[in-house]
Amino acid sequence: MIEVLLRSLLLAAASAGLLLLVGPLLAYLNRRAYPGRTLVESLLLTPIALPPTVLGFYLLLLFSPDGPLSRIGVPSLAFTFPGMVVGAALFSLPFAYTAYREAFRALDEDLLETARTLGAGRLRRAREVVFPLVWPGIVSGTLLAFAHALGEFGVVLMVGGNIPGKTQVASTYIYDLVEGLEFTAAHRASAIMLALAFALVYLTRALEERWRSATGSTDRSRSR
Amino acid sequence: MEIRYRLHRPLPLAVAFRVEGFTALLGPSGAGKTTLLKALAGLLPAEGTPYAGLPPEKRPIGYLPQNAALFPHLTAWQNVAFALPQLRGADRERVARAWLHRFGLAHRAEHRPRELSGGEVRRVALARALARNPELLLLDEPTAGLDRPNRDQVLRAILYAVEEHGVRALVATHDLELAQAANRLAVLDEGRLLQSGPSEEVHQNPISLRVARLLGFENLIPGRVVGYRSPYVEVATRAGVLRALGNPMPQGTPAVLAVRPEEVLIVREDRPLHPRDAANTIAGVIRRLRRMGPVVEAEFEGPIPLLLRLPRHVQDRLELRPGEPRRVVLKPRYLQLFSEDEAASFSSD
Repeated sequence: MIEVLLRSLLLAAASAGLLLLVGPLLAYLNRRAYPGRTLVESLLLTPIALPPTVLGFYLLLLFSPDGPLSRIGVPSLAFTFPGMVVGAALFSLPFAYTAYREAFRALDEDLLETARTLGAGRLRRAREVVFPLVWPGIVSGTLLAFAHALGEFGVVLMVGGNIPGKTQVASTYIYDLVEGLEFTAAHRASAIMLALAFALVYLTRALEERWRSATGSTDRSRSR
Repeated sequence: MEIRYRLHRPLPLAVAFRVEGFTALLGPSGAGKTTLLKALAGLLPAEGTPYAGLPPEKRPIGYLPQNAALFPHLTAWQNVAFALPQLRGADRERVARAWLHRFGLAHRAEHRPRELSGGEVRRVALARALARNPELLLLDEPTAGLDRPNRDQVLRAILYAVEEHGVRALVATHDLELAQAANRLAVLDEGRLLQSGPSEEVHQNPISLRVARLLGFENLIPGRVVGYRSPYVEVATRAGVLRALGNPMPQGTPAVLAVRPEEVLIVREDRPLHPRDAANTIAGVIRRLRRMGPVVEAEFEGPIPLLLRLPRHVQDRLELRPGEPRRVVLKPRYLQLFSEDEAASFSSD
Protein backbone atom coordinates (compact mmCIF):
# COMPACT_ATOMS: atom_id res chain seq x y z
CA MET A 1 0.00 0.00 0.00
CA ILE A 2 2.69 2.47 1.07
CA GLU A 3 4.76 1.63 -1.99
CA VAL A 4 1.78 2.14 -4.29
CA LEU A 5 0.89 5.44 -2.63
CA LEU A 6 4.46 6.69 -2.94
CA ARG A 7 4.49 5.76 -6.62
CA SER A 8 1.24 7.71 -7.09
CA LEU A 9 2.73 10.75 -5.36
CA LEU A 10 5.91 10.46 -7.41
CA LEU A 11 3.89 10.17 -10.63
CA ALA A 12 1.81 13.24 -9.69
CA ALA A 13 4.90 15.23 -8.73
CA ALA A 14 6.82 14.30 -11.88
CA SER A 15 3.94 15.10 -14.24
CA ALA A 16 3.11 18.36 -12.42
CA GLY A 17 6.82 19.24 -12.55
CA LEU A 18 6.88 18.53 -16.27
CA LEU A 19 3.88 20.82 -16.75
CA LEU A 20 5.51 23.53 -14.63
CA LEU A 21 8.45 23.46 -17.05
CA VAL A 22 6.47 23.96 -20.26
CA GLY A 23 3.00 25.21 -19.21
CA PRO A 24 3.77 28.80 -18.11
CA LEU A 25 5.82 29.35 -21.26
CA LEU A 26 2.92 28.16 -23.42
CA ALA A 27 0.51 30.40 -21.50
CA TYR A 28 2.84 33.38 -21.81
CA LEU A 29 3.23 32.86 -25.57
CA ASN A 30 -0.53 32.57 -25.98
CA ARG A 31 -1.16 35.75 -23.98
CA ARG A 32 -1.71 37.79 -27.13
CA ALA A 33 -3.78 36.82 -30.12
CA TYR A 34 -2.02 35.53 -33.26
CA PRO A 35 -3.38 33.69 -36.27
CA GLY A 36 -3.94 30.11 -35.22
CA ARG A 37 -4.07 30.70 -31.48
CA THR A 38 -7.53 29.18 -31.23
CA LEU A 39 -6.27 26.06 -32.99
CA VAL A 40 -3.22 25.74 -30.71
CA GLU A 41 -5.27 26.31 -27.55
CA SER A 42 -7.90 23.81 -28.68
CA LEU A 43 -5.20 21.18 -29.15
CA LEU A 44 -3.82 21.88 -25.68
CA LEU A 45 -7.29 21.60 -24.14
CA THR A 46 -8.53 18.56 -26.11
CA PRO A 47 -7.54 16.01 -23.43
CA ILE A 48 -10.33 17.44 -21.27
CA ALA A 49 -12.93 15.96 -23.62
CA LEU A 50 -11.02 12.82 -24.55
CA PRO A 51 -11.72 9.45 -22.95
CA PRO A 52 -8.52 8.63 -21.04
CA THR A 53 -8.44 5.29 -22.83
CA VAL A 54 -8.24 7.06 -26.19
CA LEU A 55 -5.30 9.20 -25.09
CA GLY A 56 -3.70 6.09 -23.56
CA PHE A 57 -4.27 4.13 -26.75
CA TYR A 58 -2.57 6.70 -28.96
CA LEU A 59 0.30 7.05 -26.50
CA LEU A 60 0.78 3.28 -26.51
CA LEU A 61 0.97 3.33 -30.31
CA LEU A 62 3.45 6.22 -30.12
CA PHE A 63 5.58 4.57 -27.42
CA SER A 64 5.48 0.94 -28.65
CA PRO A 65 8.79 -0.73 -29.61
CA ASP A 66 7.87 -0.49 -33.30
CA GLY A 67 6.19 2.92 -32.94
CA PRO A 68 7.33 6.17 -34.58
CA LEU A 69 9.42 7.24 -31.55
CA SER A 70 11.40 4.01 -31.54
CA ARG A 71 12.16 4.48 -35.20
CA ILE A 72 13.96 7.74 -34.44
CA GLY A 73 15.91 6.11 -31.62
CA VAL A 74 13.82 6.95 -28.54
CA PRO A 75 13.66 3.93 -26.17
CA SER A 76 10.15 2.51 -25.81
CA LEU A 77 8.14 4.07 -22.98
CA ALA A 78 5.24 1.60 -23.13
CA PHE A 79 4.48 0.05 -19.71
CA THR A 80 7.15 2.16 -18.00
CA PHE A 81 6.98 4.78 -15.28
CA PRO A 82 8.35 7.60 -17.50
CA GLY A 83 5.65 6.74 -20.06
CA MET A 84 3.01 7.14 -17.35
CA VAL A 85 4.49 10.51 -16.38
CA VAL A 86 4.14 11.75 -19.95
CA GLY A 87 0.58 10.40 -20.18
CA ALA A 88 -0.53 11.92 -16.86
CA ALA A 89 1.08 15.25 -17.79
CA LEU A 90 -0.75 15.37 -21.12
CA PHE A 91 -3.99 14.49 -19.43
CA SER A 92 -3.57 17.17 -16.74
CA LEU A 93 -2.37 19.76 -19.23
CA PRO A 94 -5.80 21.41 -19.74
CA PHE A 95 -6.18 22.05 -16.02
CA ALA A 96 -2.72 23.49 -15.52
CA TYR A 97 -2.78 25.42 -18.77
CA THR A 98 -6.13 27.06 -18.00
CA ALA A 99 -4.88 28.29 -14.63
CA TYR A 100 -1.57 29.51 -16.12
CA ARG A 101 -3.40 31.27 -18.91
CA GLU A 102 -5.73 33.06 -16.49
CA ALA A 103 -2.75 34.21 -14.45
CA PHE A 104 -1.12 35.80 -17.49
CA ARG A 105 -4.37 37.19 -18.84
CA ALA A 106 -5.10 38.93 -15.53
CA LEU A 107 -1.78 40.72 -15.91
CA ASP A 108 -2.64 44.35 -16.64
CA GLU A 109 -0.79 45.53 -19.75
CA ASP A 110 -0.75 49.06 -18.29
CA LEU A 111 1.47 47.82 -15.46
CA LEU A 112 4.08 46.49 -17.87
CA GLU A 113 3.96 49.61 -20.04
CA THR A 114 4.24 51.90 -17.03
CA ALA A 115 7.15 49.84 -15.72
CA ARG A 116 8.91 50.46 -19.02
CA THR A 117 8.38 54.22 -18.73
CA LEU A 118 9.86 53.98 -15.23
CA GLY A 119 13.07 52.67 -16.77
CA ALA A 120 12.60 48.95 -16.10
CA GLY A 121 14.11 46.69 -18.76
CA ARG A 122 12.81 43.26 -19.73
CA LEU A 123 14.54 41.42 -16.86
CA ARG A 124 13.36 43.83 -14.14
CA ARG A 125 9.83 43.73 -15.52
CA ALA A 126 9.83 39.93 -15.46
CA ARG A 127 11.33 39.71 -11.98
CA GLU A 128 9.60 42.59 -10.21
CA VAL A 129 6.25 42.86 -11.96
CA VAL A 130 5.30 39.72 -13.90
CA PHE A 131 6.60 37.06 -11.53
CA PRO A 132 5.10 38.44 -8.28
CA LEU A 133 1.73 38.80 -9.98
CA VAL A 134 1.54 35.44 -11.78
CA TRP A 135 3.20 33.03 -9.35
CA PRO A 136 0.06 32.35 -7.29
CA GLY A 137 -1.77 31.35 -10.48
CA ILE A 138 1.12 29.15 -11.52
CA VAL A 139 1.28 27.48 -8.12
CA SER A 140 -2.46 26.84 -8.08
CA GLY A 141 -2.39 25.45 -11.62
CA THR A 142 0.47 23.13 -10.76
CA LEU A 143 -1.26 21.96 -7.58
CA LEU A 144 -4.39 21.24 -9.59
CA ALA A 145 -2.38 19.26 -12.13
CA PHE A 146 -0.75 17.37 -9.25
CA ALA A 147 -4.15 16.53 -7.75
CA HIS A 148 -5.52 15.48 -11.11
CA ALA A 149 -2.53 13.26 -11.90
CA LEU A 150 -2.80 11.68 -8.45
CA GLY A 151 -6.30 10.45 -9.28
CA GLU A 152 -5.70 9.54 -12.91
CA PHE A 153 -6.83 6.06 -13.86
CA GLY A 154 -7.45 5.48 -17.56
CA VAL A 155 -4.24 6.81 -19.07
CA VAL A 156 -1.98 5.26 -16.45
CA LEU A 157 -3.76 1.92 -16.87
CA MET A 158 -3.34 1.99 -20.65
CA VAL A 159 0.23 3.30 -20.75
CA GLY A 160 1.49 1.72 -17.52
CA GLY A 161 -0.34 -1.57 -17.64
CA ASN A 162 -0.92 -1.79 -13.85
CA ILE A 163 2.15 -3.94 -13.27
CA PRO A 164 2.49 -4.53 -9.49
CA GLY A 165 5.81 -3.24 -8.16
CA LYS A 166 6.47 -1.34 -11.36
CA THR A 167 3.63 0.73 -12.75
CA GLN A 168 0.82 0.08 -10.29
CA VAL A 169 -0.46 3.29 -8.66
CA ALA A 170 -3.17 3.99 -6.07
CA SER A 171 -6.06 4.23 -8.53
CA THR A 172 -5.25 1.01 -10.37
CA TYR A 173 -4.40 -0.71 -7.07
CA ILE A 174 -7.86 0.10 -5.68
CA TYR A 175 -9.42 -1.20 -8.88
CA ASP A 176 -7.59 -4.51 -8.38
CA LEU A 177 -8.70 -4.67 -4.72
CA VAL A 178 -12.36 -4.14 -5.58
CA GLU A 179 -12.17 -6.65 -8.37
CA GLY A 180 -10.68 -9.14 -5.89
CA LEU A 181 -13.51 -8.33 -3.41
CA GLU A 182 -11.00 -7.05 -0.83
CA PHE A 183 -13.31 -4.32 0.44
CA THR A 184 -11.55 -3.59 3.75
CA ALA A 185 -8.28 -2.79 2.02
CA ALA A 186 -10.17 -0.89 -0.70
CA HIS A 187 -11.90 1.20 1.99
CA ARG A 188 -8.61 2.08 3.66
CA ALA A 189 -6.89 3.08 0.43
CA SER A 190 -9.92 5.00 -0.83
CA ALA A 191 -10.22 6.97 2.41
CA ILE A 192 -6.60 8.03 2.12
CA MET A 193 -7.13 9.14 -1.49
CA LEU A 194 -10.28 11.05 -0.53
CA ALA A 195 -8.48 12.94 2.23
CA LEU A 196 -5.53 13.70 -0.03
CA ALA A 197 -7.72 14.94 -2.87
CA PHE A 198 -9.76 17.17 -0.59
CA ALA A 199 -6.67 18.62 1.09
CA LEU A 200 -5.09 19.44 -2.26
CA VAL A 201 -8.14 21.12 -3.73
CA TYR A 202 -8.72 23.03 -0.49
CA LEU A 203 -5.11 24.22 -0.49
CA THR A 204 -5.46 25.40 -4.09
CA ARG A 205 -8.64 27.33 -3.38
CA ALA A 206 -7.21 28.90 -0.21
CA LEU A 207 -4.16 30.04 -2.15
CA GLU A 208 -6.33 31.60 -4.83
CA GLU A 209 -8.35 33.48 -2.19
CA ARG A 210 -5.25 34.81 -0.50
CA TRP A 211 -3.77 35.86 -3.78
CA ARG A 212 -6.92 37.71 -4.78
CA SER A 213 -7.15 39.61 -1.49
CA ALA A 214 -3.45 40.46 -1.51
CA THR A 215 -3.37 42.10 -4.91
CA GLY A 216 -6.93 42.90 -5.89
CA SER A 217 -7.63 44.87 -9.00
CA THR A 218 -5.44 47.77 -10.04
CA ASP A 219 -8.35 49.83 -11.26
CA ARG A 220 -9.00 52.05 -8.27
CA SER A 221 -10.97 54.88 -9.78
CA ARG A 222 -13.59 54.72 -7.08
CA SER A 223 -13.21 57.01 -4.11
CA ARG A 224 -14.09 56.34 -0.53
CA MET B 1 8.95 72.36 -25.59
CA GLU B 2 7.83 71.85 -29.17
CA ILE B 3 6.02 68.61 -29.92
CA ARG B 4 5.72 67.33 -33.47
CA TYR B 5 4.34 63.83 -33.79
CA ARG B 6 2.89 61.73 -36.53
CA LEU B 7 1.59 58.19 -36.32
CA HIS B 8 -0.63 55.88 -38.34
CA ARG B 9 -1.76 53.25 -35.88
CA PRO B 10 -4.05 52.68 -34.04
CA LEU B 11 -5.37 55.87 -35.62
CA PRO B 12 -3.85 58.39 -37.98
CA LEU B 13 -2.64 61.38 -36.00
CA ALA B 14 -0.46 64.36 -36.81
CA VAL B 15 0.10 67.22 -34.37
CA ALA B 16 2.47 70.10 -33.71
CA PHE B 17 2.10 72.22 -30.60
CA ARG B 18 3.95 73.67 -27.61
CA VAL B 19 3.92 72.22 -24.11
CA GLU B 20 4.86 74.62 -21.31
CA GLY B 21 4.01 74.32 -17.64
CA PHE B 22 0.66 72.63 -17.25
CA THR B 23 -0.76 72.01 -20.72
CA ALA B 24 -4.20 70.47 -21.03
CA LEU B 25 -4.92 68.22 -24.01
CA LEU B 26 -8.65 68.51 -24.57
CA GLY B 27 -10.80 66.48 -26.87
CA PRO B 28 -13.80 64.14 -27.05
CA SER B 29 -13.35 60.41 -26.45
CA GLY B 30 -11.71 58.82 -29.44
CA ALA B 31 -9.95 62.04 -30.46
CA GLY B 32 -6.56 60.38 -30.02
CA LYS B 33 -5.53 61.81 -26.64
CA THR B 34 -4.45 58.48 -25.15
CA THR B 35 -2.81 57.49 -28.43
CA LEU B 36 -0.74 60.68 -28.47
CA LEU B 37 0.35 60.26 -24.83
CA LYS B 38 1.35 56.64 -25.46
CA ALA B 39 3.29 57.63 -28.56
CA LEU B 40 5.14 60.31 -26.59
CA ALA B 41 5.89 57.70 -23.93
CA GLY B 42 7.35 55.45 -26.62
CA LEU B 43 4.68 52.78 -26.21
CA LEU B 44 3.39 53.23 -29.78
CA PRO B 45 5.56 53.61 -32.86
CA ALA B 46 5.60 57.20 -34.12
CA GLU B 47 7.74 59.71 -35.98
CA GLY B 48 8.62 63.14 -34.68
CA THR B 49 10.33 65.16 -32.02
CA PRO B 50 11.18 64.88 -29.21
CA TYR B 51 12.35 61.36 -28.31
CA ALA B 52 11.20 59.48 -31.42
CA GLY B 53 13.21 56.32 -31.84
CA LEU B 54 14.02 56.01 -28.14
CA PRO B 55 12.50 53.08 -26.22
CA PRO B 56 10.23 54.05 -23.29
CA GLU B 57 12.95 53.06 -20.82
CA LYS B 58 15.26 55.77 -22.19
CA ARG B 59 12.78 58.66 -22.46
CA PRO B 60 12.87 61.38 -19.80
CA ILE B 61 9.12 61.17 -19.28
CA GLY B 62 6.70 60.18 -16.54
CA TYR B 63 3.60 58.37 -17.80
CA LEU B 64 0.33 57.81 -15.94
CA PRO B 65 -2.28 55.71 -17.73
CA GLN B 66 -5.89 56.29 -16.82
CA ASN B 67 -5.92 53.84 -13.92
CA ALA B 68 -2.51 55.15 -12.73
CA ALA B 69 -1.12 51.58 -12.86
CA LEU B 70 0.30 51.29 -9.37
CA PHE B 71 1.84 47.86 -8.84
CA PRO B 72 -0.80 46.07 -6.75
CA HIS B 73 1.70 43.82 -4.97
CA LEU B 74 3.81 46.72 -3.70
CA THR B 75 3.10 49.27 -0.96
CA ALA B 76 2.95 52.99 -1.75
CA TRP B 77 6.61 53.62 -0.91
CA GLN B 78 7.74 50.48 -2.75
CA ASN B 79 5.88 51.72 -5.81
CA VAL B 80 7.83 54.96 -5.67
CA ALA B 81 11.06 53.07 -4.98
CA PHE B 82 10.51 51.16 -8.23
CA ALA B 83 11.46 54.37 -10.04
CA LEU B 84 14.75 54.63 -8.09
CA PRO B 85 16.76 51.57 -9.15
CA GLN B 86 20.02 53.51 -8.91
CA LEU B 87 19.64 53.68 -5.10
CA ARG B 88 20.09 50.78 -2.69
CA GLY B 89 18.50 49.65 0.56
CA ALA B 90 17.82 52.31 3.18
CA ASP B 91 18.68 55.18 0.83
CA ARG B 92 16.12 54.01 -1.65
CA GLU B 93 13.40 53.77 0.97
CA ARG B 94 14.28 57.17 2.45
CA VAL B 95 14.09 58.94 -0.91
CA ALA B 96 10.86 57.13 -1.85
CA ARG B 97 9.22 58.13 1.44
CA ALA B 98 10.40 61.72 1.00
CA TRP B 99 8.57 61.83 -2.34
CA LEU B 100 5.38 60.58 -0.69
CA HIS B 101 5.83 63.20 2.02
CA ARG B 102 5.97 65.95 -0.60
CA PHE B 103 2.60 64.82 -1.88
CA GLY B 104 1.11 64.70 1.62
CA LEU B 105 1.07 60.89 1.65
CA ALA B 106 3.68 60.05 4.29
CA HIS B 107 1.00 58.37 6.41
CA ARG B 108 -0.06 56.11 3.53
CA ALA B 109 3.45 54.81 2.76
CA GLU B 110 2.82 51.29 4.06
CA HIS B 111 -0.52 50.83 2.29
CA ARG B 112 -1.16 48.75 -0.80
CA PRO B 113 -2.89 50.44 -3.76
CA ARG B 114 -6.20 48.68 -3.07
CA GLU B 115 -6.33 50.35 0.36
CA LEU B 116 -5.87 53.85 -1.10
CA SER B 117 -8.56 56.19 -2.40
CA GLY B 118 -8.71 57.05 -6.10
CA GLY B 119 -7.06 60.42 -5.46
CA GLU B 120 -4.32 58.89 -3.35
CA VAL B 121 -3.59 56.30 -6.03
CA ARG B 122 -3.10 59.08 -8.59
CA ARG B 123 -0.89 61.07 -6.25
CA VAL B 124 1.31 58.06 -5.42
CA ALA B 125 1.62 57.46 -9.17
CA LEU B 126 2.58 61.13 -9.67
CA ALA B 127 5.20 60.86 -6.94
CA ARG B 128 6.54 57.70 -8.58
CA ALA B 129 6.68 59.35 -12.01
CA LEU B 130 8.44 62.45 -10.63
CA ALA B 131 10.97 60.39 -8.68
CA ARG B 132 12.65 59.62 -12.00
CA ASN B 133 13.15 63.31 -12.61
CA PRO B 134 11.41 63.48 -15.99
CA GLU B 135 11.23 66.59 -18.14
CA LEU B 136 7.73 65.80 -19.34
CA LEU B 137 4.80 64.28 -17.46
CA LEU B 138 2.13 62.54 -19.55
CA LEU B 139 -1.11 62.20 -17.58
CA ASP B 140 -4.12 60.41 -19.04
CA GLU B 141 -7.42 61.60 -17.53
CA PRO B 142 -5.92 61.96 -14.05
CA THR B 143 -9.23 63.10 -12.52
CA ALA B 144 -11.59 60.67 -14.26
CA GLY B 145 -13.98 59.02 -11.83
CA LEU B 146 -12.85 61.04 -8.82
CA ASP B 147 -15.13 62.90 -6.44
CA ARG B 148 -14.58 66.59 -5.86
CA PRO B 149 -12.12 66.50 -2.90
CA ASN B 150 -10.03 63.79 -4.55
CA ARG B 151 -10.08 65.66 -7.83
CA ASP B 152 -8.94 68.88 -6.21
CA GLN B 153 -6.11 67.03 -4.45
CA VAL B 154 -4.92 65.58 -7.74
CA LEU B 155 -5.11 69.00 -9.40
CA ARG B 156 -3.04 70.54 -6.59
CA ALA B 157 -0.53 67.71 -6.90
CA ILE B 158 -0.17 68.38 -10.64
CA LEU B 159 0.29 72.11 -10.01
CA TYR B 160 2.82 71.33 -7.28
CA ALA B 161 4.81 69.13 -9.65
CA VAL B 162 4.79 71.81 -12.33
CA GLU B 163 5.50 74.79 -10.08
CA GLU B 164 7.96 73.28 -7.57
CA HIS B 165 9.78 70.81 -9.76
CA GLY B 166 9.71 72.68 -13.03
CA VAL B 167 8.41 69.68 -14.93
CA ARG B 168 6.11 70.14 -17.93
CA ALA B 169 2.84 68.28 -17.75
CA LEU B 170 0.73 67.30 -20.73
CA VAL B 171 -2.64 66.32 -19.29
CA ALA B 172 -5.27 64.59 -21.42
CA THR B 173 -8.71 65.37 -20.06
CA HIS B 174 -12.27 66.27 -20.79
CA ASP B 175 -12.66 67.81 -17.37
CA LEU B 176 -13.23 71.47 -18.29
CA GLU B 177 -12.47 72.72 -14.80
CA LEU B 178 -9.13 70.95 -14.87
CA ALA B 179 -8.48 72.49 -18.28
CA GLN B 180 -9.24 75.93 -16.90
CA ALA B 181 -6.36 75.59 -14.45
CA ALA B 182 -3.92 74.90 -17.28
CA ASN B 183 -1.37 77.37 -18.63
CA ARG B 184 -1.83 76.17 -22.17
CA LEU B 185 -4.48 74.28 -24.08
CA ALA B 186 -4.27 71.98 -27.04
CA VAL B 187 -7.59 70.88 -28.52
CA LEU B 188 -7.50 67.58 -30.37
CA ASP B 189 -10.18 65.97 -32.49
CA GLU B 190 -10.01 63.00 -34.86
CA GLY B 191 -6.23 62.95 -34.71
CA ARG B 192 -5.86 66.60 -35.67
CA LEU B 193 -5.05 69.63 -33.58
CA LEU B 194 -7.92 72.11 -33.82
CA GLN B 195 -6.31 74.86 -31.76
CA SER B 196 -3.54 75.37 -29.27
CA GLY B 197 -2.16 78.28 -27.31
CA PRO B 198 -2.24 79.99 -23.93
CA SER B 199 -5.29 78.88 -22.00
CA GLU B 200 -6.93 82.34 -21.75
CA GLU B 201 -6.51 82.97 -25.44
CA VAL B 202 -8.11 79.67 -26.47
CA HIS B 203 -10.94 80.08 -23.97
CA GLN B 204 -11.77 83.57 -25.16
CA ASN B 205 -11.21 82.97 -28.83
CA PRO B 206 -12.08 79.47 -29.92
CA ILE B 207 -11.30 79.36 -33.62
CA SER B 208 -14.18 77.11 -34.57
CA LEU B 209 -17.56 76.01 -33.42
CA ARG B 210 -16.15 72.56 -32.70
CA VAL B 211 -13.53 73.98 -30.36
CA ALA B 212 -16.14 76.21 -28.73
CA ARG B 213 -18.38 73.23 -28.00
CA LEU B 214 -15.47 71.29 -26.50
CA LEU B 215 -14.70 74.30 -24.31
CA GLY B 216 -18.19 74.41 -22.84
CA PHE B 217 -20.07 76.79 -25.11
CA GLU B 218 -23.27 74.81 -24.67
CA ASN B 219 -25.74 77.40 -25.97
CA LEU B 220 -25.72 77.61 -29.77
CA ILE B 221 -27.98 80.11 -31.53
CA PRO B 222 -28.30 79.79 -35.32
CA GLY B 223 -28.95 82.93 -37.38
CA ARG B 224 -27.99 85.06 -40.38
CA VAL B 225 -25.69 88.06 -40.60
CA VAL B 226 -27.75 91.18 -41.35
CA GLY B 227 -25.27 94.01 -40.91
CA TYR B 228 -22.18 95.48 -39.34
CA ARG B 229 -22.01 98.39 -36.96
CA SER B 230 -18.41 98.69 -35.77
CA PRO B 231 -17.33 96.81 -33.74
CA TYR B 232 -20.43 94.61 -33.80
CA VAL B 233 -21.72 92.11 -36.28
CA GLU B 234 -25.51 92.03 -36.23
CA VAL B 235 -27.08 88.62 -36.47
CA ALA B 236 -30.78 87.97 -36.97
CA THR B 237 -31.97 85.09 -34.80
CA ARG B 238 -35.29 83.82 -33.55
CA ALA B 239 -34.69 86.07 -30.54
CA GLY B 240 -34.33 89.16 -32.75
CA VAL B 241 -31.15 90.86 -33.90
CA LEU B 242 -28.23 90.11 -31.57
CA ARG B 243 -24.84 91.82 -31.62
CA ALA B 244 -21.54 90.02 -31.34
CA LEU B 245 -17.95 91.19 -31.60
CA GLY B 246 -16.41 90.18 -34.91
CA ASN B 247 -15.15 91.13 -38.33
CA PRO B 248 -17.57 92.32 -41.01
CA MET B 249 -19.26 89.54 -42.92
CA PRO B 250 -21.38 89.61 -46.06
CA GLN B 251 -25.06 90.07 -45.43
CA GLY B 252 -27.01 86.84 -45.40
CA THR B 253 -24.07 84.69 -44.22
CA PRO B 254 -25.38 81.79 -42.10
CA ALA B 255 -23.88 82.09 -38.64
CA VAL B 256 -23.99 80.55 -35.18
CA LEU B 257 -23.65 82.45 -31.92
CA ALA B 258 -22.20 80.45 -29.02
CA VAL B 259 -22.33 81.32 -25.35
CA ARG B 260 -21.37 79.51 -22.13
CA PRO B 261 -24.14 78.75 -19.61
CA GLU B 262 -22.02 80.62 -17.04
CA GLU B 263 -22.10 83.75 -19.22
CA VAL B 264 -25.82 84.05 -19.84
CA LEU B 265 -26.83 86.68 -17.28
CA ILE B 266 -30.20 87.39 -15.67
CA VAL B 267 -31.19 91.05 -16.06
CA ARG B 268 -31.55 92.92 -12.76
CA GLU B 269 -34.65 94.98 -13.51
CA ASP B 270 -33.75 97.45 -10.74
CA ARG B 271 -30.53 98.39 -12.47
CA PRO B 272 -30.00 100.13 -15.80
CA LEU B 273 -28.39 98.05 -18.55
CA HIS B 274 -25.42 99.42 -20.44
CA PRO B 275 -26.64 100.53 -23.90
CA ARG B 276 -24.06 98.24 -25.47
CA ASP B 277 -25.81 95.25 -23.90
CA ALA B 278 -29.40 96.47 -24.04
CA ALA B 279 -29.89 95.27 -27.62
CA ASN B 280 -29.00 91.74 -26.58
CA THR B 281 -31.74 91.09 -24.05
CA ILE B 282 -34.25 88.29 -24.48
CA ALA B 283 -37.52 87.89 -22.58
CA GLY B 284 -38.77 84.48 -21.54
CA VAL B 285 -39.63 82.21 -18.66
CA ILE B 286 -37.49 80.25 -16.21
CA ARG B 287 -38.59 76.65 -16.65
CA ARG B 288 -36.55 74.42 -14.44
CA LEU B 289 -33.96 74.91 -11.68
CA ARG B 290 -31.40 72.32 -10.67
CA ARG B 291 -29.12 72.68 -7.71
CA MET B 292 -25.68 71.17 -8.48
CA GLY B 293 -23.56 71.75 -5.40
CA PRO B 294 -22.43 75.36 -5.31
CA VAL B 295 -23.94 75.96 -8.75
CA VAL B 296 -27.54 76.32 -9.88
CA GLU B 297 -28.52 75.33 -13.40
CA ALA B 298 -31.56 77.04 -14.92
CA GLU B 299 -33.44 76.33 -18.12
CA PHE B 300 -34.68 79.47 -19.81
CA GLU B 301 -37.47 79.29 -22.36
CA GLY B 302 -38.08 82.15 -24.72
CA PRO B 303 -37.88 82.56 -28.49
CA ILE B 304 -34.76 80.40 -28.06
CA PRO B 305 -34.02 77.94 -25.25
CA LEU B 306 -30.95 78.72 -23.15
CA LEU B 307 -29.09 76.95 -20.38
CA LEU B 308 -27.85 79.12 -17.52
CA ARG B 309 -25.43 78.27 -14.76
CA LEU B 310 -25.06 80.62 -11.84
CA PRO B 311 -23.25 80.47 -8.52
CA ARG B 312 -25.55 79.74 -5.59
CA HIS B 313 -24.93 83.13 -3.99
CA VAL B 314 -26.23 84.81 -7.13
CA GLN B 315 -29.35 82.65 -7.06
CA ASP B 316 -29.80 83.51 -3.37
CA ARG B 317 -29.90 87.18 -4.38
CA LEU B 318 -32.05 86.77 -7.51
CA GLU B 319 -34.41 84.15 -6.09
CA LEU B 320 -35.32 82.67 -9.47
CA ARG B 321 -38.44 80.54 -9.41
CA PRO B 322 -39.76 78.10 -12.00
CA GLY B 323 -42.49 79.64 -14.16
CA GLU B 324 -41.30 83.17 -13.49
CA PRO B 325 -40.91 85.58 -16.44
CA ARG B 326 -37.39 87.01 -16.66
CA ARG B 327 -35.09 88.72 -19.11
CA VAL B 328 -31.58 87.47 -19.86
CA VAL B 329 -28.76 89.38 -21.48
CA LEU B 330 -26.15 87.94 -23.85
CA LYS B 331 -23.31 90.43 -23.51
CA PRO B 332 -21.56 90.84 -26.87
CA ARG B 333 -18.15 90.10 -25.42
CA TYR B 334 -19.32 86.68 -24.23
CA LEU B 335 -20.90 85.81 -27.59
CA GLN B 336 -18.71 83.92 -30.03
CA LEU B 337 -19.63 84.29 -33.67
CA PHE B 338 -18.99 81.47 -36.15
CA SER B 339 -19.88 81.56 -39.79
CA GLU B 340 -20.55 79.62 -42.98
CA ASP B 341 -18.82 76.24 -43.04
CA GLU B 342 -19.05 75.93 -39.29
CA ALA B 343 -22.72 76.81 -39.37
CA ALA B 344 -23.12 74.15 -42.04
CA SER B 345 -21.34 71.54 -39.94
CA PHE B 346 -23.50 72.55 -37.01
CA SER B 347 -26.72 71.92 -38.87
CA SER B 348 -25.45 68.62 -40.25
CA ASP B 349 -25.05 67.01 -36.82
